[in-house]
Amino acid sequence: MDRDRRIQELSIRLRYLQDIFLGEHNPDVELLTTRFEELCARVSDLSADEAARQIKTLEELFGFLERKLERQLSPMHKVRIVRHPQRICLKDILENVYDNYTEIGGQDEYSIDPSMLIARAYITRKRGKKTYHQPVMVIGQEKGHGQEFRNGGSVKPWGNAKALHYMKVAETEGIPIHTYIFTPGSYPIEDYPGAAQQIARNLYEMAGLKVPIVAVISEGGSGGAEAIGLADTRIMMSHGYYSVISPEGAAAIEGRLKEGERATPELIARCAEALKITADDNRAMGYVDWVIHEPELGARPEHYAFFRKLRKAVIASTDEIVLEVSNLRLFRSWALKRHRGSDVLDVYVRWSLDAAAQQRLLWRRYKKYRRMAQQAYLEERYFFKKAVTQVADALAGVYSYLRYELLGRHQKKVTELAEDVHAEMQVVMSRPARWWKRLKETLGLKPEAAAGLVALSAWDEGRGQDGWRYVSPQAKHDRAIPCPRARTNGCLDQWAPDLFGDFAGVCRFCGHHFPMEYQWYLHNVFDPGSITEFFADVESTNPLKFPGFDERLAEAKKKTGHKSACMTFEARIEGIPLMVAMLMAAFRGGSVGAAEGEKFIRAIERARRKQLPFLAYVHGTAGIRIQEGVNGVIQMPRCTLAVRRYIEAGGLYLVLYDTNSYAGPVASFLGCSPYQFAVRSANIGFAGRSVIKETTGMDIPPDYHNAYQALARGHIQGIWDRREIRANLLQSLKTMGGPKLASR
Amino acid sequence: MNERHTILIANRGEIAIRIMEACRKLGHAFVAVYTEADRQSEHCVLAQQWGGALFRISSYLDANELFAVADASGATAVHPGYGFFAEDFRFARRAVQRTRKLQFIGPSWQVIRELGDKINTKRLARKLGVPTVPGSDRPITDDLEAEAMAESLFAFQEEVGVKRPVVLVKASAGGGGMGIEEVDDLGKFRAVLRRIKNYARRQFRDDGVLIEQRIFDFNHLEVQILADRTGKDPVHFGTRNCTVQSTGRQKRIEVAPGFAPTTLRYAFDARKVLDDITDYSLRIAREVRYDSVGTWEWIVSPTGQPFLMEVNTRIQVENGVSARIARIRGQGGVDLIAEQIRTGLGAPLGYTQKDIAFEGVAIEYRIIAEDPDNRFAPWVGRITRFAWQPQPWLSVHTHVPQDRPYEIPTDFDPNLALAIVWGKDLSEAKARGLEFLSQLELEGVSATGDPLRSNIAFLQRHTSDLLVF
Repeated sequence: MDRDRRIQELSIRLRYLQDIFLGEHNPDVELLTTRFEELCARVSDLSADEAARQIKTLEELFGFLERKLERQLSPMHKVRIVRHPQRICLKDILENVYDNYTEIGGQDEYSIDPSMLIARAYITRKRGKKTYHQPVMVIGQEKGHGQEFRNGGSVKPWGNAKALHYMKVAETEGIPIHTYIFTPGSYPIEDYPGAAQQIARNLYEMAGLKVPIVAVISEGGSGGAEAIGLADTRIMMSHGYYSVISPEGAAAIEGRLKEGERATPELIARCAEALKITADDNRAMGYVDWVIHEPELGARPEHYAFFRKLRKAVIASTDEIVLEVSNLRLFRSWALKRHRGSDVLDVYVRWSLDAAAQQRLLWRRYKKYRRMAQQAYLEERYFFKKAVTQVADALAGVYSYLRYELLGRHQKKVTELAEDVHAEMQVVMSRPARWWKRLKETLGLKPEAAAGLVALSAWDEGRGQDGWRYVSPQAKHDRAIPCPRARTNGCLDQWAPDLFGDFAGVCRFCGHHFPMEYQWYLHNVFDPGSITEFFADVESTNPLKFPGFDERLAEAKKKTGHKSACMTFEARIEGIPLMVAMLMAAFRGGSVGAAEGEKFIRAIERARRKQLPFLAYVHGTAGIRIQEGVNGVIQMPRCTLAVRRYIEAGGLYLVLYDTNSYAGPVASFLGCSPYQFAVRSANIGFAGRSVIKETTGMDIPPDYHNAYQALARGHIQGIWDRREIRANLLQSLKTMGGPKLASR
Repeated sequence: MNERHTILIANRGEIAIRIMEACRKLGHAFVAVYTEADRQSEHCVLAQQWGGALFRISSYLDANELFAVADASGATAVHPGYGFFAEDFRFARRAVQRTRKLQFIGPSWQVIRELGDKINTKRLARKLGVPTVPGSDRPITDDLEAEAMAESLFAFQEEVGVKRPVVLVKASAGGGGMGIEEVDDLGKFRAVLRRIKNYARRQFRDDGVLIEQRIFDFNHLEVQILADRTGKDPVHFGTRNCTVQSTGRQKRIEVAPGFAPTTLRYAFDARKVLDDITDYSLRIAREVRYDSVGTWEWIVSPTGQPFLMEVNTRIQVENGVSARIARIRGQGGVDLIAEQIRTGLGAPLGYTQKDIAFEGVAIEYRIIAEDPDNRFAPWVGRITRFAWQPQPWLSVHTHVPQDRPYEIPTDFDPNLALAIVWGKDLSEAKARGLEFLSQLELEGVSATGDPLRSNIAFLQRHTSDLLVF
């Protein structure tokens, strides 16, 4: 029987190898296949001892060649490893890493989303005779070794909402959160709470969670990973991947595939290579804190040693976070040092934090992400200029503190006093004023009633209906433009100079918004001459040395005259100053990479310092720039942290979507705004049509992502006409301006 | 300047016929258009009879189609008539700015735009000291300002002795009677203002309001202006009185001149009022360098105060009634449409105000199939007989054929004919008018077998007290 079991085990190992090296002629795998088949053929004829001997030989050969193959693993192999049904899953971890657990997010298929697993678990530690049970909230995607209802770990929006709910529970209970990321990506549906919007909400809330968070990444697929990935310590499994997009998705975009076409395996493998998705790459770029090594060819449920290692890793990480922010600084550093040398399981560190430590934890989290991706963009850093900027920043910080924190409080009192004095004066003066008025009337100095009614009144006619300060070059052609909705709405063709000149690119008949360049907004939304650009030196680059991307980037820079897709500036509307970050569709589709994220953060930090309202104007964004890989994805938590810090300081954060606004940015720093509006031309969503078809098999209706659908689903707060953006922004500034960042 | 043009007539019916006649008179070729509903109209028959090109289009309101016709027919100019594109500055601008340029027979597009905006016109008038209806001359968005304006309007009306002071609150972006309410009590003002503002915000996304005095029992007068392309020395062709209107404020009878101070007694100096409104109109025309035919619309209060209402930057339906009493250097037979085309194509006016004289009184009746007793509801059906006695003092403009039955199209206003009657004085003109109306034969039957309804009785009833104020 032992013989049969061992042959069975070998056949599983062989099948695993064949799966990982699928579609390539690997001599080692072929050798093992041949030897295994030979063994199977003759094993029944052999004596028990001989069979055991030969099986042992083959087992040793398996072991030897597996170690050899381990060294040959390419990124694409690792992608296959993490997707393999034999890969460890969250249930295995709960069984082996934690000492006891109860699933609370549902049971098997009886769950609002079986792909998101939530459990209260505890870790038992012994110190001397004393035993400590340390509760933990464990949250992660569950693939269930290929169970169909788990949906491959692709979490629906309500699954992420459930995760968020229990994160908040953990915060209330003051227990750490351990998240395990096993997802190829989020399930791209728009139904409430919305794939993108829920991820954004998760990120925003995680940015302020007052408990330690440790994340372990096995398969980190873009937005789905970020939904539970904003952690204080991020551990990555050595055979995992963490990427902006699946290699297949990247290949589809790189190969410019049409619907229904499939990328070649070579192209997919090339993309997997170029995207730098492995654990070591991510460690080198600084997006994970450390890598935990797996057994050869990836961890599987029988690798108990690995689970012990993982247990140590998550406990040590949690301890470290707690110790770093704990109250006694002196003691803390000493404890930390001592801690590293000792066996983690013998030490007891209390995992609860007091209020001051919680604040330090949040600041630590902010700084951690703020420091990331600094190598992934270019900036001319002349020493002198840098020094000047730093001094200026410091002074602005001091000024901001004095002006708004200290003086602000007293200023209110002074104003109130002045108002009271003025009111008293009015009472005193009212009698003489009446008397003076009567005197004037008796002297015949009565004001002429009709004068104000028939004379010309003063009126600042700065803006007539045709008074656009910027007219699109599209208005220069002598041709009639058909409205795309003419078939259903009966719109007549409109002459280009009328349509783009007078009507601002809005169909006169049905209100359809034709695309308009971003310059139009710069000149027609903000006060003339009020725009001052900042951080223009921050430049997009090709941090992954993605093949062929340098040329395309150079082309975009030449075409637009900008160094990145994000323009950050201060401007005024009717004299009210505000800070704006604008994503421009003309520059690589408005995609967000390290430079864009950095500019966004700097702009919102500036708005915070200067107590200005902040507008994210999305002229268009296709998502995270895939050619920057994780350098792009990391902007999701980075920017969201900055947004949270700004809003908590009392800032007014407005988002305005204009055209196509998709994926990562919507699923993070844009989607988390409490005030999101869209121009009628906007499409807002998580993934495009072909991705939805690919991942869900659904054919979506043509208007699936349009602004009205988004409004109906509750993703945005209102829809504006392009011609009324200025008036609506002004209205928003007046009605939504916070008490601290009052718009005046 | 005597080159031969091909003029695209971007209109239908009676005005299309009159433009064709003018083109023939001036020796220009023309291109006519018609829609399916208008296939039976006399303007199609005449266009072919008079050797003009005739194109079928799907709508008189599709500029693209009209320009395509212009290109296909080699037109060099376009006459918009009245209605449709006549006061659309975008159409005028497109005609002169497109690659294959067309002369637009009408004012330059800048003038159309400037005077097409009622608020702008009112402000222009005030700038030039021309009287306008008391009230605001710009959209008011501030509630306190609106209330102050209403308050002073009530005070003003009481001061000048208006018995029942009323203030109008209008949505500044509105038009055509939408978003207007009256307030006869300052206490109700706040509520009305809020209602109009809400309406305007919903309807026009602009909550500016205008606040004006409501003037009752006024007479509606017009001044006919003509200028050449230089815009210097505009001339006027007298005044018209258009007070007889339907309940929907559509004109039914127009009389030139505007008052008859020699025959009738007025509570004010009627001659002075006519002179004043003519002077004021010319003052504005000079200021904007008006360069075509146009009409300045006035209302005159029972105390003889004129207020400028608006400027119509087009030839009007009733241009013929002014032309009928005018003489240029002693010559009758003035044709304002021909003058518009002649000067519109660049010819100088060739005469001054001194050369224009007026003689007699002309009355224009608009003969319409409608039911004046039932809020002027249009009647639809087939006209089986339409005939009148020709007279030297009578001219009839119609697109309704007299030799065959005619189905009234439902897509357009139901105007059938314009009859202009002339007399040496008011009483003769009235008598001749009544004579014409009583002899006019107009019969028809609707699809349900009902006999034709027309406004002839209404016209007869109102003839007796024309120009009485």
